[in-house]
Amino acid sequence: MPESFSHRCLYIDLGTRDVRREQLETDISLAFLGGRGIGTYFLGMSPTLEAVDACSPLIFAAGPLTGTRIPSSGRMVISAFSPLTNTVCSCSVGGGLALQMIQAGIDIIHVTGRADRQSVILILDGTVTIEEVPMPEDLPLSAVFEGLKPPGGSVAAIGEAAFKGCLYASIMVDSSFASGRGGLGLVMASKNLRALSVRGSGRANRPVPDRKAEETSRRDILRLFDASPFIMGRSGIGTYGTPSLVDLMASRRMMPTANFRRTFFEGYRAFSGTTIREQLRPSRYACHGCPIACKQRSGGEIPEYETLSHFGALNENDDLSAIIEANHICNNAGMDTISAASTIACLAEIREERYTGGVLVDKVRLILGTDREAELLRQGSARLAVELGSPEKSMSVKSLELPAYDPRGAYGMALAYGTSTRGGCHLRAYPIAHEILRKPVATDRFSFAGKARIIKLAEDLGAVIDSIGACKFAFLGASLEEYARGFSAVTGLPHDTQALMRSGDTIYTLERYINTLRGFSRNDDLLPERFFREPGTPGPGIDIPPLAKDAYEEALDRYYRIRGCNPDGTLTDIRLKGLEICSIR
Amino acid sequence: MLDQIDSFLRKLLAHGLVSNPAEAQLYALDDEIYTNRDTVPDEVISLFDALNISSLIIARPEPLRWAIISELLRSQADIISPSDSESLTFIHDIPVVRSFQAGRVAWALSRRKGCIVEGLGIITTGAVSLEQAFIAFSSICFATFVKYFSDVLNGLTGHAPRPSAEEIAACRGYLSSISLKAEGINLSPQTPMGEMGIISAMDAAGKAMVSAGLVDSFFGNISLKEGLLIYISQTGSSLDELQGRIDCTTMDGSSTCEITSSSELCAHVRIYELTGTRVIIHGHPRFSVIMSMMGGPLDFDQKRHVGGVPVVAGEVGAGARGLMHTLPEAMMAGHAAIVAGHGTFACSDTSFREAFERLAAVEQMCLGMYRTALKA
Repeated sequence: MPESFSHRCLYIDLGTRDVRREQLETDISLAFLGGRGIGTYFLGMSPTLEAVDACSPLIFAAGPLTGTRIPSSGRMVISAFSPLTNTVCSCSVGGGLALQMIQAGIDIIHVTGRADRQSVILILDGTVTIEEVPMPEDLPLSAVFEGLKPPGGSVAAIGEAAFKGCLYASIMVDSSFASGRGGLGLVMASKNLRALSVRGSGRANRPVPDRKAEETSRRDILRLFDASPFIMGRSGIGTYGTPSLVDLMASRRMMPTANFRRTFFEGYRAFSGTTIREQLRPSRYACHGCPIACKQRSGGEIPEYETLSHFGALNENDDLSAIIEANHICNNAGMDTISAASTIACLAEIREERYTGGVLVDKVRLILGTDREAELLRQGSARLAVELGSPEKSMSVKSLELPAYDPRGAYGMALAYGTSTRGGCHLRAYPIAHEILRKPVATDRFSFAGKARIIKLAEDLGAVIDSIGACKFAFLGASLEEYARGFSAVTGLPHDTQALMRSGDTIYTLERYINTLRGFSRNDDLLPERFFREPGTPGPGIDIPPLAKDAYEEALDRYYRIRGCNPDGTLTDIRLKGLEICSIR
Repeated sequence: MLDQIDSFLRKLLAHGLVSNPAEAQLYALDDEIYTNRDTVPDEVISLFDALNISSLIIARPEPLRWAIISELLRSQADIISPSDSESLTFIHDIPVVRSFQAGRVAWALSRRKGCIVEGLGIITTGAVSLEQAFIAFSSICFATFVKYFSDVLNGLTGHAPRPSAEEIAACRGYLSSISLKAEGINLSPQTPMGEMGIISAMDAAGKAMVSAGLVDSFFGNISLKEGLLIYISQTGSSLDELQGRIDCTTMDGSSTCEITSSSELCAHVRIYELTGTRVIIHGHPRFSVIMSMMGGPLDFDQKRHVGGVPVVAGEVGAGARGLMHTLPEAMMAGHAAIVAGHGTFACSDTSFREAFERLAAVEQMCLGMYRTALKA
């Protein structure tokens, strides 16, 4: 293997304050690529630990494309066991952390142990220090970043929500980028780790073996970005950010409304991409090395589509300023907007109330409060609904609240919610690409035909994307064909699309195997009953019937056969998947 | 799954890509392999085992296309590099495998969406659906056709080594069997009215373009302006199946639903703004593409003419070097223009019929010019 592809790991034990550097074994690097793959590998080393066990690892992993000229490849993946779902959990996050790590000569930071006091890990090129930095737990994250971010460097930090035990506490990177789902912020808090600060001078940058091929790959990818209406079109995310999805999801009648009781919200124009542009005139910015620049700010952050839709339609709220304020509170306290909004919507349905405008904002603030309701809200919708005697009103899979794509409007999405290894997540397979956005080709959104294999392959692809450091949106223009060429150019490895997809299969199968060891099986892959019993909201020429449960279960059966699972969804013969290199028997 | 296989087999035949159903094998994999054949050969099972794909087409193109591909195989090495911009953007290059061995084919298909197997035909794959394999098959047919005739033309005009007398004779032979169809002339000369009428007219125009061979079904786009609204074909839609695949958006972009619209929406909007016309059609007529490339690539700010029709540079989509910056102005005078190495746009004040006739006339002229060049 070329020297440039060996992973440089930094192991930090916060309990003993031991810091050591090691190169990862070659076969592990080759099999798991980087990013999410390496994170999953480390989780597989101790697959049954509690999420907040001191020995449980928290892994920050860059991808092999980061720091190169391959477009949209500056993503970082943070991995740990989820306190919310108890599954494996990896979150891809933007910002500059991955680049700073690479420039400091580090690919992976593996954190275990628990510091005696609130601490910060400071990395400056080859120097690593662990400092006790006393800060009030309720200090807003904006102030944390202001105090800790080194000039030209990058910081990942947690906020008040994590210290209050919120099960969906996030880790924020460079103040604007959220590692949102699954409560990894709580894992960081359990280690008494307030922040990770990294600055690399670039002296440790890897050489690129084939600059010419890197440039060819870059140009091929950029040409495909330009040809994609979703990316660079007049209404694409390169213009409006992800709020460009608002109008489309409303028109397709799959915008979750009133805690998924309906699929269309009459007031959606209040938070559409064009409304935001007209009223707030936001400026755009980007993750490192990304020409798309889908992030927006106007004074504060402009929420992403899922946040707009869930603090909007899911809570029947058409007050844009309230949505922005709710988003701001979540980001400043470090909590996942999807879970926060969905938990509030669940509470509203159970109580037969409606929280909008200032009342909604107050509910978000209440999550950080001290009373019983605050404690309930911090547990997420699944535990809250059980506690209040209405478990069926939590719209979650494996306790992870569903994002803003109603599964009755896209059957591949329905299946992907079920099979996602981190719970109800749209990004593990992102079937919205073909079922709604027509990329790379359109599929029938109201059919399960062929979807089992499509979802399996898309999950593997998603694992590759998260492992090489790329952005999923890039794949709504370019494909793995172009990225494989780039990967090969910058690593010197003769990897083609199929070699990468084999790694994707390895990573995803290992995730599912770890979940099996943690007690997950077929029942955990089912959707809330509402989707099988209640129709969505019809529209012009669009009928949104309930999902047929037998058809869903048949698709699940097919998926299990394709993935190599047992009929109950578990995995046993892991050697069949070539995972014998993992010492997780 | 069998419905999909049947549908794309019919498309291969209807589009003249394949002449005999016995020469087309279509496979789709979910938890088992579905096919139009009685059995699934071991080699195909090997390919599915080796590749993370869900569909596969193995087919020999119709005789003229296959003869042309065979000509290219004689003069090329392990890769055919297309010359037109659409192929360069979407399929990059085409691997050639000299004999059908599953390992070699799998190696080629690990790198690209399709390959040519000497003595056998074209093999293409899809990871999402059979539609991808069909598109790749169609694209390879188009790319090889354009490359062959472009290479000969470049040789005749001093931009490449001059072809031998035998090669010119062979090219003449192929050319003699090519003629333009005229299925489009039954389009209505009237301006379509009302949403149903507009969609129906767009559907008819799309079908006419495909059946006349002015575009491969999944490429090209078509639109109509009605007041402040634009009806436009969706991205990746098949022009001969436009019902249910037409977006209605606005000239000013006040709804972002158009993220599923054709990647050339911005160019259409600008053409409407500059020309004041009502309908636009865009296809990839093969000889218009070939003749537009005569003389080599254009710089972004350069223009040339083919028989009086402007030829401009520009890439697909809305990027800084996108055709939306060059094409609309070129459309103002004659309501038709060619984007070099890409395809022809034509517009009309009144009807799809008029736009269709403009597009067909440009192609007829380019075919005539090619024949003249070959005689000289």
